[in-house]
Amino acid sequence: MNRRSIAATILLLATIAFALAPLYRSAVDIPIPVHHVLHAVMMAGTALAGILFAGSLARERRGGAPWLLVAMFAPVFAMILMWPSEYSYFELHPYGHIAEHLGLIFLGFAAGYGGQRYANGIGWASGIGIVAMAVLGVWGYGVAPTTVAPVAATPSAPAAAAAPNAAHGSVLYTQNCAVCHGVAGAGGEGPPLKNERVRKSLTAAEAWIENPAEPMPKLYPGTLSAQDVADVAGYIETLR
Amino acid sequence: MQSRAGARVMWIYLGTGIAIFALMTLAGILLRAAQAGWIPVDPGTFYSILSLHGVGMIVAMAIAGLGTLWYLVRREIDLDERIAYLAYGFFIAGVVSAIISVVPGRYGSLWTMLYPLPFVGTYWPSWATGAWLIGNALVMLGFMLWCAQILGALLEKYGGVRGMLAIDYVFAKRAFTEAGRKPPPPAMFAAAITAFDGFITGMVGLVIGTALLVHLIDPSVAIDPLWAKNLTYLFGHSIANLAMYMAVAGVYVGLPMCTKRAYHTSPQLAVAWWATLLFVIIAYFHHLYMDFAQMQWMQFVGEIASYLAAIPVVVVTVYGGVMLVHRSGMRWSLGSMFLYGGMIGWVVGGIGAVLDATIPANIDLHNTLWVPAHFHTYLLEGVLLFTLGWAFVNLEQRADAVSSLMLRWLVGLGMFGGGALFVFAFYIAGAAGVPRRYAVEPAPGPLWASVATVGAIVFFIGFAICVFEGVRLASLPKSDVTA
Repeated sequence: MNRRSIAATILLLATIAFALAPLYRSAVDIPIPVHHVLHAVMMAGTALAGILFAGSLARERRGGAPWLLVAMFAPVFAMILMWPSEYSYFELHPYGHIAEHLGLIFLGFAAGYGGQRYANGIGWASGIGIVAMAVLGVWGYGVAPTTVAPVAATPSAPAAAAAPNAAHGSVLYTQNCAVCHGVAGAGGEGPPLKNERVRKSLTAAEAWIENPAEPMPKLYPGTLSAQDVADVAGYIETLR
Repeated sequence: MQSRAGARVMWIYLGTGIAIFALMTLAGILLRAAQAGWIPVDPGTFYSILSLHGVGMIVAMAIAGLGTLWYLVRREIDLDERIAYLAYGFFIAGVVSAIISVVPGRYGSLWTMLYPLPFVGTYWPSWATGAWLIGNALVMLGFMLWCAQILGALLEKYGGVRGMLAIDYVFAKRAFTEAGRKPPPPAMFAAAITAFDGFITGMVGLVIGTALLVHLIDPSVAIDPLWAKNLTYLFGHSIANLAMYMAVAGVYVGLPMCTKRAYHTSPQLAVAWWATLLFVIIAYFHHLYMDFAQMQWMQFVGEIASYLAAIPVVVVTVYGGVMLVHRSGMRWSLGSMFLYGGMIGWVVGGIGAVLDATIPANIDLHNTLWVPAHFHTYLLEGVLLFTLGWAFVNLEQRADAVSSLMLRWLVGLGMFGGGALFVFAFYIAGAAGVPRRYAVEPAPGPLWASVATVGAIVFFIGFAICVFEGVRLASLPKSDVTA
């Protein structure tokens, strides 16, 4: 075992130890941006370990298109694994959260090792790439501005509402509701809306938006159409 | 180093790029005719076609450029063609996914997929947005594979970043040459910058694409609109610019083939490419001049970066190209005509871009038809001409034949004359303040859309003649001179 391999092994073990943190600290205590940074640190550690491991191989063992594929796919899977739902079932359970971290650690290693195994220097590119993806997420992946000015939606003719479109509802929510109810229903001047589905059915949520009690403003039928109301209610039902 | 397999990769990429370009030109003519009021197209269909037109053109130009560059790098370094085919497979799968999104799905929030537009459409179902985002991810993966392969090969060949970018050559030229070392040829700078910045661009495209896909599946995942816009334009602006830098490699090799003179690497050329390397990925800030939430220093950096990313490399390359042609006795074939004409288009489109990136001018030109004016000049009369120039130089040399004078006039009038009329109408309408991306343009938009439609049709006729001539040249037996 040469010095590079020893350094890589120490780095890998240290990162795995770091990834076990959810045993001691619940995910919900940590804001999403900080969470992204911690993921970046984990992947930086293992990507570097991967680069060192691959660098310790003899030159003739380098190359091979499959390693390049591994290095290129790793960041995409990492990005999906970092899904910043506040908070997914995975992250609410410490062992689920650790499993997610182990996945990120593996992908960080795959990016560094796969890239460097393919060609000298590519491990650095894919390793920095996977870490940069996590760091970039800090400013907007699962994170929205804290204050959003209400913007009137385009008035539309009243019509019977079709099935709710939660994605469209999320946009309308950000424009019209988040200023009081907070981003993703976190609460603010108005009450939080997380787990609102437990308190109100979809129909009840729609009825409330159409005819709210003071001080909530009545936006239907002026600002919001019947379909918009259904979409916003559909979105609120997804908040956890 | 070069083999028939290498040339096959190039022709597959080039042929696919040109075929997609032809189809997307027809889509573009339809769009301009609709804006002129010649053909009734409802707004939903208009934005769907506009989305396909945008992504199709970018992918077409990028694929053609990547094929050319791959071939040129392979002349210097051994490359595995399986990776080139794999990347090609990703591009095609991405294009198919985009077509599914637009044709049955009627997706219409344009190729830039700027948040929250993909989620607020009333014309398309959410699966169409999903298909578009998956298509984006596939294209980005293909692009990153290609970039990583080229980057790896260049780093190995030139012994790391210092060698690849000729840093020692610039700072200690005498010692460098006395040691018997040679800097990379000019085309390798284009390859290095494309691969390096392309890797970053692809990664950013994947970040924003994956984030939007996650938001589509789980709307409770919030997205910061300003963050999304920054990433969208970092990836969108950079990839459109890199298409040009890929095609420029064809000039570095094609013009010397026409003039029988060598295009040497100089310290000025190397430094100009360094400027592009550093600034092309932050020049996109100029797309956010009107976003007052953006930090102010970024706006100024955006203006300076816009100048530094483009001006040095245009000046050095075009000056070198003109000097190469000057008194060379070059034969004006279609190939040399396109390469020379492409330099003019690059300069004109570049001036349009630099004007738009200048903050006082941008106040008037922002989001007007000036924007498509400059990038259509840049892509049609720059990137496309470089691509066709490179293809024709090879075809003419292979067959040792030149197209007739009559045909060259027809192609020249169509592609330069029609193309100039087409972009001129964009510039005039842009200067008059006609907004871009409107299915129905306010006055004087429809008038200039009519002029542009005529120009685009004339351009397409010239282009079609050129393609048929290319097929004819390709079918000629290989000359003994080159065999």
